[in-house]
Amino acid sequence: MAIRHLLSLARRSHKPSSSFTLVRSSSSRSNAEEFIKPPPPTATIYDRIAHSLKSKLQKLENPDIRFLKYGSPHPTQTPHTHILSRPETKITTLPNGLRVATESASNSRTATVGVWMDAGSRFESDETNGTAHFLERMIFKGTEKRRAKGPEEEIENMGGHLNAYTWREETAYYAKVMGKDVLKAVDILADVLQNSKFEERCISRERGVILRELQAGGHTEEDVFDHLHSTAFQYSPLGRNIHGTCDNIKTISNEHLHHYIQTHYTTPRMVLAASGAVKHEEIVEQAKKLFTKLSSDSTTATQLVAKEPASFTGSEVRIINDYVPLAKFAVAFEATSSTDPDSIALMVMREMLGSWNKNTGGGKHMGSKLVQRVSINGIAESMKAFSTNYKDTGLFGVYAVAKPDCLGDLSFAIMSEMTKLAYRVSEDDVIRARNQLKSSLMLHTDGTTPIAEDIGHQLLTYGRRIPFAELFTRIDAVDASTIKRVANRFLYDRDLAISAIGPIQDLPDYNWFRRRTYWNRY
Amino acid sequence: MSSFLQSFLDPKKNWLAAMHMKSLTKRLRKYGLRYDDLYDPYYDLDIKEALNRLPREIVDARTQRLKRAIDLSMKHEYLPENLQQVQTPFRSYLQDMLALVKKENAEREALGALPLYQRTLP
Repeated sequence: MAIRHLLSLARRSHKPSSSFTLVRSSSSRSNAEEFIKPPPPTATIYDRIAHSLKSKLQKLENPDIRFLKYGSPHPTQTPHTHILSRPETKITTLPNGLRVATESASNSRTATVGVWMDAGSRFESDETNGTAHFLERMIFKGTEKRRAKGPEEEIENMGGHLNAYTWREETAYYAKVMGKDVLKAVDILADVLQNSKFEERCISRERGVILRELQAGGHTEEDVFDHLHSTAFQYSPLGRNIHGTCDNIKTISNEHLHHYIQTHYTTPRMVLAASGAVKHEEIVEQAKKLFTKLSSDSTTATQLVAKEPASFTGSEVRIINDYVPLAKFAVAFEATSSTDPDSIALMVMREMLGSWNKNTGGGKHMGSKLVQRVSINGIAESMKAFSTNYKDTGLFGVYAVAKPDCLGDLSFAIMSEMTKLAYRVSEDDVIRARNQLKSSLMLHTDGTTPIAEDIGHQLLTYGRRIPFAELFTRIDAVDASTIKRVANRFLYDRDLAISAIGPIQDLPDYNWFRRRTYWNRY
Repeated sequence: MSSFLQSFLDPKKNWLAAMHMKSLTKRLRKYGLRYDDLYDPYYDLDIKEALNRLPREIVDARTQRLKRAIDLSMKHEYLPENLQQVQTPFRSYLQDMLALVKKENAEREALGALPLYQRTLP
C-alpha cells in the first residue's frame, strides 16, 4: 500500500519531464523559467478550430433521439388505414354496355373527364398496323357539327386541355376542364368519337407528319422499349409498333379509320371516367343522351386476346450507333398479366430494384443494393426497373442509360441483383419496398387527371376499381418468401429479351446474360 | 475489456507506456510533427475521408508541418531548438473524426448496405 503510494508519487514527479525538456534555451523569455511551455490550445487558429470541432464531435456521442422518430434506417410496418378513406367510385353500366365511373372530390373546382377504351395497336392486324395511332391523331380534326380544329378550339376557349394517348392495349381521350364545363366536355368527346369526319386533305397532311416523325426518331427511351416489345413479342400482336410501319401509314384511308371505330370503339369496351368536381348522375344522363351511335358489339377484348395470344421469345435486338454519346439498353423477362395476383409481387420487386439517375439526391444511401452499386461506382447515367402488365402477359426488367465504357460492370450489377431476388431476400428490404410502393401509388393519384386515368385503367383491366385498402392489404401480403417464389417463377433460369441502342460494343452478348439468370451456388 | 487495455496502455498509469510516449515525443519534436500527422490517407481510406471532413485550416497546418519535416529530413537537419521546445506532438485533431468515420462505416455495414469506398489495388 505504501509502496504503491510511493510509486504514484514518483510517477507524478516524472510527469513534467515526459512532456518538456529541461534544456536551457537561449531565447529571451526563458531566463526566468527552467523550461518553456508549448503554446496553449488557443494560440494558433488551427488549434482553436480543432478544439471547437472536438466539442462538436463530443455532442454527436449523444444523438438527439427525436431525429430517429421518423427517420430510422430500419423499415417498420405501420398501419396505413387512417389515410385510406377515399371517396367512393360510383360506377353505372348503361344499357348499351358503356360504363360510367366517377369519383367526385368535393374540394376540387376542376375536373377531368375522358373515355378509356380497350383498343390499341394490339387489336390491329399486320396490314392495318398503325391505324389506332393514326386515328388518335385524326380524331380531333373535325366532326360534322364542328369544323376542323373545332373540338380543340372549343375546349381551349373554356380554358381546358384536351389530350389523348394510344397504347398497346388501351386508348384514351380525356379533357381537363373547369367543374362547370364538364358536361360540355362530355358533349365534345361524344361528338368527336362518333361523328368524326376524316377529310382527305387532313389525312394526307397527318400522314406526312407521322412519316416525318418515324424517320426522325431512333434514340429515345421510347424507342428502346418499342424495340424491346417488338423483339420480345415477335410474330405476335403485342410486338407491333404503335406508330405502325411506313407502308401501312401510306395506305391508311378513310374506310380503314371508320372500320376501326366500328370494330373496336364499342361500348362494352369503353369506360367514361370522370373525377374532380363532377356529379355522377349528371354524367350518366349526359352519357345516355350522347353515346348512342357507337356499336355495342359485345366481343370483349379478352376474347380478341384469346384468339391471338401473345407469345414471348427470348431474343435480342442491338442497334450499334457510335455517334451518340450514351448507350441505352433494356433487359426484360416475361412477366404475367395484370389480373394475376403475382403482379403485385412483381411491383414490389420493381421497387426493390429501384430507380436512379444522376439528379436524384440519395444514390449511395438508398435502400436498393442495385442503386447503391450503380451510384457508388458511377457505372450508369440513369437506371430504372420496370414492370408492365398486359392482358395475358407482361414484361419485368431493368432499363439503363450509361456511358459506353461501363456497360460490362453495369450488366453484371443488374443481372446479379435480379437473380439475387430468387436466392437471398431480406425482410427489411421487402418492407422498405412495400412502403415505397404504397407511397408511390398514393402520391401518383394526386390530381383529377391521374385519378381519372386510374379509374379508367382499373375498370378496363380488373373490371372494378380496387379500393386502396384492398390494394394495400395485397401489397402487405408480399413477404420475403413470396418474393423468392415469384422470382423463381419469372426470373430463375428463364429466357430474357434485350434491346440496346447506341455505342454498345462492350455490352455482353445474349449467352452471357442468359447464364447469369441463375447461380451455381445452390 | 477496452478500458482494461486503455489503462494498460495509458501513459499516466503505465511507466512503460510513458517511456514510449517520451521517446515518441522526442523524435516527433525533432522534426516538428504531431502524432496525427503520421496517419497516411493512402494507407487507409477512412483517414482520407476523415481528412476530407476536417476544416481547411487544420489540414493546411498538417500539410505545412509535413512539408517542413520533409524539408528538414532532406537537409539532414532538425528543427531549431527554440521551435522544438514549443512543439505539441500529442495534441490531436484527427482521432475524434477518424473514430466517427469508422463508426459510420461500421453502422453502414451493420445495416447491410454496400461500403461507400473500397480499397483497390493500384
